[in-house]
Parts: sequence; structure tokens; C-alpha cells
Amino acid sequence: MLNFNGGTTISGTSLTPLGMYAGYLLLHSGNFWLAVSFLALTCAYLLIVLTTLCRYVINYRRNKPAFAVK
Amino acid sequence: MAPHPSARQSLGSRGNIRSFILPHRYARSSFEYEQARVTAIIPTYKPENLTVKLVEDLVEWNPTLRIIVVDDCTPEEYIASALFIRMGSVSDRVTVLRTPVNKMKAAALNYALAYIFANEEVPDVILSLDDDIVVAPSTVRNLVVELMSYQHLGAVCSQCRVLNKNNNMLTRLQGLEYVGFNATRLADEGFYRGPLVMHGMLTAFRVAALKEVQGFADGHLIEDYEITTRLKDLGWSVKLALNAPAWTVVPDTFSKLWRQRARWSYGGITVITKTKYFSSVLQDLIGHSVFFATVGMIALMALFRGDDRIPIEIARLVIALSFLQLLLWYSFQLWLMRLYKEKDARDWIIRISMVPEFIYTNILTLVVVGSYFFLTFNVLTRRLRRSGNVVARRCVAIGAVVFSFCGYMESWGTRGN
Repeated sequence: MLNFNGGTTISGTSLTPLGMYAGYLLLHSGNFWLAVSFLALTCAYLLIVLTTLCRYVINYRRNKPAFAVK
Repeated sequence: MAPHPSARQSLGSRGNIRSFILPHRYARSSFEYEQARVTAIIPTYKPENLTVKLVEDLVEWNPTLRIIVVDDCTPEEYIASALFIRMGSVSDRVTVLRTPVNKMKAAALNYALAYIFANEEVPDVILSLDDDIVVAPSTVRNLVVELMSYQHLGAVCSQCRVLNKNNNMLTRLQGLEYVGFNATRLADEGFYRGPLVMHGMLTAFRVAALKEVQGFADGHLIEDYEITTRLKDLGWSVKLALNAPAWTVVPDTFSKLWRQRARWSYGGITVITKTKYFSSVLQDLIGHSVFFATVGMIALMALFRGDDRIPIEIARLVIALSFLQLLLWYSFQLWLMRLYKEKDARDWIIRISMVPEFIYTNILTLVVVGSYFFLTFNVLTRRLRRSGNVVARRCVAIGAVVFSFCGYMESWGTRGN
């Protein structure tokens, strides 16, 4: 996931609840363009997570022999 | 010596964007550990038996390794002086230096570098180590081979694991967190110039690269992140050596953890503000941007209420995508447990239940928020500090004390003996 230099790794635990809360707020905000912007942001964040996972899987397969070392 | 030209060329902007999904892969050449001259630097202050054990292990498992222990001006009366004698007598390959005044880690490393470049046959690889770590017999060998097998690499760091993870809940959480750190570093291999930080716990540096960056930044809060960024700025890449594990002692109280993370967090922000190329700190930039954008957007929605009719599909989509992200992350975290060799039933319970890690990461997010406040405070008060207004200066001083009490400081000072 994203390395956030407080040692936190931005991940589902940090931002997902915020995303869900935002979804709730959206219903009551009454501002269409803010709602669309937030949807775009959520998509972008999901994309970042997906690409990170994708790179991890590729590098894991490339480095698989190294995992055997104790 | 700059990185091999082919390594520079292959990092064009198009290649970089592609590396978001498909990490760069470089040609590996064969390299024998015995070909390299390697020197390890261990800065230490008031060392304990763990440091002596580290020196003994390094000497035993690496027959040609030279070791420099830098005593960062430990007080004479401190019992550790006997430990320094023990370390020095382990082998004639061990040299114990003592800084004239307490200089903190980066400066102690530079002190040893100056000694190496002036007095010794210059090695090919220099290792920087913390004094409270444990290594495996193959750690140094694998680290050096990994570094020297790729022409474009300036540094390679070890896997980091937690030695005292069974102490309490906090250390267990850090044990789980460190598994994530290793995973992040693996994901970032071949992504732009590699992982964000070559950690100070155990990293092997190519001497040519170390000379090019002219050593560590004295007094910097996180000299490991700072030097990694400068290496990348000069065109070097970095990576994690998966087959080089090392174990460290993590903070076992909340206040120690908070202070450590406040240092990392604010130190990280100062690195970003001083970097030459934003691509060298890209992961951090994305992290901060996403966080700011999310919080900012929520604030805007709370503040600016309109009369538009929001299609319920948008809200549903946001919640669904957030949930999908959580599901992906959760599945990945569960899968990562198979790589956590030290795990036990309690670790499984923590991970499966999610709640402790949820609380933990959100508390750590508060540390980051604190460093944003500290940055703002420093920017706003820069002029006031130099002004002649005594009241203003006193207010700034009080603010600095409050932040310092909370673990935030601008740079390392020096330890009082």
C-alpha cells in the first residue's frame, strides 16, 4: 500500500472508514460537483491500491526463491 | 562513479509511468561475496550485550568483514566501557572509534566514513547498522551479493523484523506492521527508483554512491530517508534484499512509539520539502496527497451544503468502492501472514479481528496530523523567531516546548552526558 512516512501504511484501515463516512455525507451535502469529485478521488485511490498490489504480485513472483531463505 | 548509463536511460518518463503496474526489471550479473571488500559501521551509545553479540556474530559469519564500532561519546563512567573493550577484543578486524563529542547517528556514521577513507583500504561496500539488531548467518552475504549484482543499485536494505514482538500488544502490532513495511518495499522494487527508505537498521551502500552523495546529513531526524532520496536524485536505484533478514528491538511503550513516529513523520516531511526531484519521494507525496484530498473533501462537504439533488448511485458507488478497497486490503493482509515466520495464534487473532490494527493505524495517523501542525507552526513562526519582539519570541518558545514535549523537533540535538 502507500507508505506514509509516519510509519503508517495508508491502507484500508486508515482511509476506508473515511471513504464510507464521505459516502454518507455525500447524500446530505447537496453539492453535485463535490460528490463527483469525491467519487473520482475514491476511484483514484482504489487504482493506487490495485497497482501497488499488482507490482507486489509481479515482484513476489520474480523474487520467489529469496523467500525460501530462513 | 555514477550509475551505469543503461540504468539511467531505461528510466524515461514513459517507462516510469508503466512501472506503476509493471516494475522495471534489470539485468543481473553474477557476483561472488568474496570479491567484495566490505566494512560495517555500528554507531552506538551506551551499548548493551546485544551489540557485543552482533559484533561477535558478524565476525564469526563473515570472515573478511571489517567492523568499525563508533562509540558516540558514551559517558566514561557508564558500565558500557567494558563492553567496548569486549567488542574490540573479538577480532583484529574490529576497530572501536570514539567521537570527541556526542554527535548522534548520522554524524557518527560520517566520523567512521572519514576514518575509513583516510586510513583504510577503501572498501567496495559499506554497511550501516543499528546497534540493537540481530542478523542471520547469511544476512550480510546476501545483502552484499544483491547490491553488487546490479550496476544501477546504490543501496540495498535488509528485511526488517521485530525481535521483541512478544513483549506486549504494542510490539505485536509493530511486528505485524513491519511485515507490511517489507511488503511495501517489495512492491516498490523497480517502481521509479525503488522503495522510499533504505532503513538505518541495516543497509548496504555501494561506496561509489556513498562518495557521490558525500555521506549522511549530520543531525537529520531521519538520515536514512534523507540519504536514500539523495541517492535517487543522483540517479541511483535502491531495493530490498528479501533473503537478508534482520531483527530489531521496537518501542514497547506508547510514549516511545509516539516519539519515534513523530520523528519519522516530521523528518519525512522535511525530506520532501528539500528533495531535488519529487519522483524520489513519490510514494510519500501520493500518501500525503490522498490523505489531504480525502480529509479536505469531507471538510468541504460538511461546510458547503448545496441544494443539488445528489443521485444516490454516487454515494452508493463511493461506499462500494471503499468497501472493495477494504476487502482487497484485508485479503492481502491475511495472505501476508504466511510470510510472517514469527507469528503465533495471538497475531492471527489480532489480524483477523482487524480492530487493534484499525485503532493502531488511526492513532499513528494522528502523529502525522501532528507533524502537519508542527510544520505549519515552524513556517508561521520563522519570522517571529528573528523579530525583536520579546513577547512574540517567548510565545514561539513556549510553542516549541509544547511540540517538543509531544515529540516534535526540527533536528536532533545532542545527548547530554
